[in-house]
Amino acid sequence: MTAIQIILFLALGLAALIYMRNLRPRLVGRVAFFVVLAAGLVMVARPDWANAVAHFFGVGRGADLVTYLGLSGSALLWLATYSRQRELEEKLTELSRQLAILEAEKPNSAKK
Amino acid sequence: MALSPAQRKSVYLTIPAYDEGQVIRETLQPLLAAGYSVVVVDDGSSDDTYAQLAGLGLHRLRHPFNLGQGAALQTAVSYALGQGADYIVHFDADGQHDAAGIDDLLAPLLAGDADVVLGSRFLREADWLAVPRERRILLKLAVVVNGLLTGLWLSDAHNGARAFTREAASKIMLRENGFAHATEITQQIRQQRLRYIEHPTRIRYTDYSQFKGQKASNAVNILIDLLIRRFIR
Repeated sequence: MTAIQIILFLALGLAALIYMRNLRPRLVGRVAFFVVLAAGLVMVARPDWANAVAHFFGVGRGADLVTYLGLSGSALLWLATYSRQRELEEKLTELSRQLAILEAEKPNSAKK
Repeated sequence: MALSPAQRKSVYLTIPAYDEGQVIRETLQPLLAAGYSVVVVDDGSSDDTYAQLAGLGLHRLRHPFNLGQGAALQTAVSYALGQGADYIVHFDADGQHDAAGIDDLLAPLLAGDADVVLGSRFLREADWLAVPRERRILLKLAVVVNGLLTGLWLSDAHNGARAFTREAASKIMLRENGFAHATEITQQIRQQRLRYIEHPTRIRYTDYSQFKGQKASNAVNILIDLLIRRFIR
């Protein structure tokens, strides 16, 4: 086993640990996470398999395939996060609005 | 044309205010003196805007933190509708609109000729000559963007003075918290098939309103907001 393999295994293990301790997303998220994790472990352990898969998809090297998939995956995640944030903003706005309306001071009400 | 005092009470001026402590009282006094119902939403100002509103005889609301002009406007309108407003008028807090023009803005609604009246500073020569040159170019670009995005070609796409009947106002729901709400309003006017007309308004460009008003660079932000909105969700 080479040094880089050890580093990558540790990194993946740490990611899995943090994920399980701190994040509890929906089922789809969990399944996706473990699929990606398993793929990562396999690619680190057997780089030649990654090359074979890359060739199958018409990509020269396994590393390139990983880069392409990683970038597209990140872009999708970014969009999902953006959309989720938008949703939260809307909820927060609605909540603030209702609060403002509840606490509204009418012209004839006593000054605080 | 002038409205009766009872009619003016049923007209709710909805005014979002963010850090307008310096001018807000000055802006509001002629409106209150004229007898309109006034709703001001302090959008989480960091200055004394909210305190300045005390004891003026108006409806005073406050967002717990800054959410944006569109959000504050929607809060004011939702509240005014809840208070039984017959007419809603959007009005800016920085003193750039003319209080004396409000009755004229409402006239087409009272006559039943329209559901929405949109202020425009490009219908009378004297009005658009008062607009600083760079601003004129920017506003005309905004008209083109607004037209392309909504299919509604107005002469002035970002004028803050608008009047709505109760029914029309309750059909419009702003989700765009920032400054892109002007385009959102246009969009919903079209979707809801509201009858609208444009009405000439005079805008006073003071040093203060120029400073507080939208910077040219902000146009880029609005454009990006609009494009994202169009393609995501």
